Amino acid sequence: MKFRKGWFGVVSVAVALVATACGGSTGTNPADQTGTLTVWLMNGSAPASVIDSVNADFKAKYPKVEVKVEIQQWGDVGTKLDTAFAGSSPPDIVELGNTLVAKYAAAGALEDITNKKSTFDNSSTWLQSLTDSCTVGGKLYCVPYYAGSRAIIYRKDFFDAAGLKPPTSMDELQTAGQTLMNAHKNDPNFSALYFPGKYWYAALPFVWDFGGDIATQSGGKWQGSLNSDSAQQGLNKLQTLVSTLSRADKSGDEAKQDAAFAQGHIAMIIANGWEVGVITDPKAGNPALKDKLGAFPIPSHNAGQTAPVFLGGSDLGVAAKSKHLDLANAWIEMLTGQKHMTDMATVGGVIPNTTSLLNLGTGLNSVFFGAAKNSRFVPNSQNWASVESANVLPDMLVKIFTKQQDISAATKSASDRITTILNGGG
Amino acid sequence: MGVAVTTPDLEPVPQLAGYRGWLRSNFLPYALISPSVLVIAGILAFPLGMLVWLSLQHYGLRELIQHSGEWVGLNNYRTILVDPLFHQVIVRSLLFTFTCVFLTVVLSTLIALLLLRVRQAVRVIVMSALVFVWATPVIVSVDIWQWMFDYEFGVINYLLTQLHIGNFIHHNWFENPVQGLGVLVVVVVWGAIPFVTITLFAGLLQVPADIVDAAKVDGASAWHTFWFVTAPLMKPIFLIVTCLSTIWDFGVFNQIYVMLNQRPSSDYFTIAIYSYRESFGVTQYGLGAAIAVVMVLVLVFVTFFYVRETVKVAEIS
Repeated sequence: MKFRKGWFGVVSVAVALVATACGGSTGTNPADQTGTLTVWLMNGSAPASVIDSVNADFKAKYPKVEVKVEIQQWGDVGTKLDTAFAGSSPPDIVELGNTLVAKYAAAGALEDITNKKSTFDNSSTWLQSLTDSCTVGGKLYCVPYYAGSRAIIYRKDFFDAAGLKPPTSMDELQTAGQTLMNAHKNDPNFSALYFPGKYWYAALPFVWDFGGDIATQSGGKWQGSLNSDSAQQGLNKLQTLVSTLSRADKSGDEAKQDAAFAQGHIAMIIANGWEVGVITDPKAGNPALKDKLGAFPIPSHNAGQTAPVFLGGSDLGVAAKSKHLDLANAWIEMLTGQKHMTDMATVGGVIPNTTSLLNLGTGLNSVFFGAAKNSRFVPNSQNWASVESANVLPDMLVKIFTKQQDISAATKSASDRITTILNGGG
Repeated sequence: MGVAVTTPDLEPVPQLAGYRGWLRSNFLPYALISPSVLVIAGILAFPLGMLVWLSLQHYGLRELIQHSGEWVGLNNYRTILVDPLFHQVIVRSLLFTFTCVFLTVVLSTLIALLLLRVRQAVRVIVMSALVFVWATPVIVSVDIWQWMFDYEFGVINYLLTQLHIGNFIHHNWFENPVQGLGVLVVVVVWGAIPFVTITLFAGLLQVPADIVDAAKVDGASAWHTFWFVTAPLMKPIFLIVTCLSTIWDFGVFNQIYVMLNQRPSSDYFTIAIYSYRESFGVTQYGLGAAIAVVMVLVLVFVTFFYVRETVKVAEIS
């Protein structure tokens, strides 16, 4: 804030002090509030037009408050957040991947907004998995922002040429894949279902579908459960699919799967809705595929049902050390409100934070929006982020797919590690 | 070296009588060296001290945010010393460093010797290429290496297949950690060769030509000439480049971290990666600091002998 000479400067400083001291109490006129709100959003989260529109609405209500939106990259955000929260002036608002919230909430980095829940639009119909991700120890620490759920993107032309319909069970998926592999047996690069080895988000539906889970909690203690019979059954099914239908890198991750799909040697990938845009991007992808793409939910092993998917997504939290708690919450109220969530769904094509807007998905998006209804989440523990950082799940999958270990040995050691980490060991 | 320079300066001092002389002989050397000592203390001793202090605490995210750790004495060291993963990491780091340093010094010596023989124009071209490699930012070059060894789109797999060396379509270089670490050795050595080559080449130019000629006249073979004449004269330079390479290669981080998409599996943990993972990945800063302290100690141990030899050689010359 610049210091101006004369009474005007004195008054504005006084107003700022009052605004800070009162934290924007109900008696304060929004038009008089001052300060700068720093917002960290993640790369690719919201279209620029939506953020501009939120900022315009915010400016209309709080004309003297400046909002600085800074876009962060997913790759190094963990380290940046740790450092920022440790400092004395962290960003006021942070977008957090939903698996990261528990870690920061438990460390005291986020404001407890339990009492403010009802002030947010649609808070009674927020997506359950996202609300769960914001809830730590019974208290609410963030506002659900948007979700991403995966389904299978497929090449309609390949399916038509082989006389196939989208499969409705895992067995049908296996058979359809086999038919496609036979139809393209002269192409040494062809994958019916392209599945990179470290793609743990896409492996979880198989675990969950057979009744398994990553870990269970009882009496405050976590117990890794990937080595349960049902989880192993699901991984066994996945391993068969991968070994017969995929030529993807068994120790690679999913970062390049859209580029690979665009090359035209792949019939199916498990992907987020927005990846359709990456595949058909005129520069990085292949726009000619636009009309050849279809999508269907990951089928269950029970015919006619779909497998539960991992609900990825982001939440918005306010830093506990923020000097503008109320302004920060007011900005979040606007972005997550009915008006802008509708824009997020229609313009951004992402799954909005409330079940009441899930009908906004059109075309291919409707498949991904629908998948969100049957979704699950990772163990909601402050230590889950450490399980991710320690690469427990990707390492386990790589060991299984490359046959360095059999499923029971790999799941046993992963489960033990998860038990240790979730219960607070390193 | 420092003694040799300062002694003649101080010689007239005893002739100065009185308090001024006493002051000058006793305090002047310290006054002169104090700025350097202060700078070194500021940029080296202070962070190192902080690191040791941090390694004696339990320091997680909560402690980071509240700026206060919990004193645990040597617990962090006990934890890592009984961790089998840590033992693997130490052995892997030492083997990796030894391989990289050995290959770097041998290949650089060969290139430097070659540079002595070639025409001026060729020398300029080779030197420019070396400087270009040296000047390329490590992140950029590792990114290019990563694409070259890519499973799906990599040119290495394509070339090896086209040259009928084998079927390398969809060959994964990083599935087998020994092979993957081999690729990383190539990347590290490639990046290290320019500096060492140019340094050794500069050293070779200092070797008196008449001694080499005399050896040849006496009938020494090329190998004998190098081993018994050139190499002993170059010993100080070999010591310095080996010492520096050891320090750099033991702390290698960028190449492994970028090459493996920032998510190296535990088979690829060197000590620097392991320390980073514990500190910033699992937010156990105290534990990460303890690993870093062990890393410093190992480096001090390994480089101690080199430094001692370097000092000896410097004193003699």
